[in-house]
Amino acid sequence: MFPVIDWSLVSLEVLISIILVSLVVVDIVLPKNADKDWIGIFSFIALAGLIIFWLTQGSLSGTTFSGMFVMDSLAWFFKTFFLIAMVFVFAMTQEFFKSLGERRNEFYLLLWLALIGMCLVASSADFLLLFISIEILTISLYVMTAYLKSDALSIEAGMKYLILGALASGFFLYGISFLYGTTHSTHFSVIQSYCQIHAMSPMTLFALVLIFAAVGFKIAAVPFHMWVADVYQGAPTPVTALLSVGSKAAGFIILIRLFFSIFGAWHAEWGLALAILSAITMTYGNLVAMFQTNIKRLLGYSSISHAGYLLMGAAAGTALGASGINFYLLGYLFTNLAAFLVIIVFSIATKSDEIADYAGLSQRSSLLACTMLLALVSLAGMPPLVGFFGKFTLLMAVIKSGYIWLALIAGVNIVISLYYYLMVAKRIYVDPPRHTAKIIVPSKIRLLLVIAILGIVIIGIFQGPFLDAAMAAVQGMYLSHL
Amino acid sequence: MITLGNYLALSGIIFSIGLMGVVTSRNVLKVLLSLELLLAASNISFVAFSKFNGDYAGQLIVFFVILVAAAEVAIGLAIVVLMYRRLSTIQADELRTMKW
Repeated sequence: MFPVIDWSLVSLEVLISIILVSLVVVDIVLPKNADKDWIGIFSFIALAGLIIFWLTQGSLSGTTFSGMFVMDSLAWFFKTFFLIAMVFVFAMTQEFFKSLGERRNEFYLLLWLALIGMCLVASSADFLLLFISIEILTISLYVMTAYLKSDALSIEAGMKYLILGALASGFFLYGISFLYGTTHSTHFSVIQSYCQIHAMSPMTLFALVLIFAAVGFKIAAVPFHMWVADVYQGAPTPVTALLSVGSKAAGFIILIRLFFSIFGAWHAEWGLALAILSAITMTYGNLVAMFQTNIKRLLGYSSISHAGYLLMGAAAGTALGASGINFYLLGYLFTNLAAFLVIIVFSIATKSDEIADYAGLSQRSSLLACTMLLALVSLAGMPPLVGFFGKFTLLMAVIKSGYIWLALIAGVNIVISLYYYLMVAKRIYVDPPRHTAKIIVPSKIRLLLVIAILGIVIIGIFQGPFLDAAMAAVQGMYLSHL
Repeated sequence: MITLGNYLALSGIIFSIGLMGVVTSRNVLKVLLSLELLLAASNISFVAFSKFNGDYAGQLIVFFVILVAAAEVAIGLAIVVLMYRRLSTIQADELRTMKW
């Protein structure tokens, strides 16, 4: 007998797969050397349709495929997040790969594949599906990272990402095998009920550490951060943006599912470990970021330090902590993508990612300079921008859980991070420009820049409904242990 | 009599060899080979657990792992080819334009 499959729950993944397959066909059928960027236009229309469709599906919940696939409020929140991030990444791709001609078509297909991977990660309720969806995501990211095949940096970044990524998935799988050995299942619900009855044994601790290593790789936490700076610098900038937002959020949804549902019963064992890791991660990221001269590398280290801030929410182990993670990621989405939009427009115009070349940007394009300033200041955590309230919620969560020392370390880190963010802002606004040629911003990018600015400011000022949404996502979580 | 412990020891040894290979090899092809060993070690422990726990899920997972391993090594070899064409080397320590 076959189990009944509820197709309405998997509607988004099915639609994305249909779009992906039809784009492959369109790519084959359409004449070569076409100047028009058909795949890009189709992708935009499809993505807009998907977002409208998806916003009406907020009430979906349930499990299907024998309980392997779960649709809950958390999955809905993160899938919306991924769809919004993809709009930005597609627009960046259109600009960035203009010179590549028809080779960019495959890049769009890889982006769609990565989107399927991220959506499946958000909905996994079984370690087998989780492993496969992570691999769908990372394997498409390996290809995209090494996509500029005449650029030595891109190849180098792709090779490093592949070696360390495959190492992380090896750890993940070995961890799953031990978890499977002790609990006799890979399904989240079985493992959760095992954890509620049994105490942590050496074998499950070993499995948990291995699995966390793989998740730590995805979210870029110390000591699994070695790939971050090189891959961020070498990868094509749209891929860097996707890595810093999409791939990190995919890591955090796994983290939420691991620590707030499956292993929630063992909070006493892992809470302190996560707090220490969080402190080390944010301090390392901020200290090394101070000495960077390449803007993408700087944002790479800043991304490590933000993983540290986000880990505070996981260390707190409360509903406030988990909703803080969601809210922070929402703010991080707009803030970081705004910064990467500026970097892309700037690098197309000047062929440079060096911070020194940003000198006097305010005189060359006031929109770019203003967006970059807002993004940097929001990343640093200044009120009333969204970065401030994200950090505020996470600090509240750790203080309520009794980790006052962690809140103090985070406070010191925020001050350190202000230094290097404002150094970039100083270059943009105070230093005299090396070249005076104006930078022209394409109208589509201009629209997205305005949307990102609105996101940074509006979510920062009217944080109420967004905090509620982040909290609702946590409260409706499948197998929640809060 | 071969016990579960023997199989787990075997998989542990293979995993350690793979890990050492990834960390110490200078040749990228050797690194890819060692990565395959890591996944093979997990496969052995999945099958062993499946046999001694008496359910089939573990054996089923192995098929998916083999598939993923094949995809990963295919992409890996493609990047090695790119690397050889562009940099004329497949030594991992030549990848140092950016600080490793």
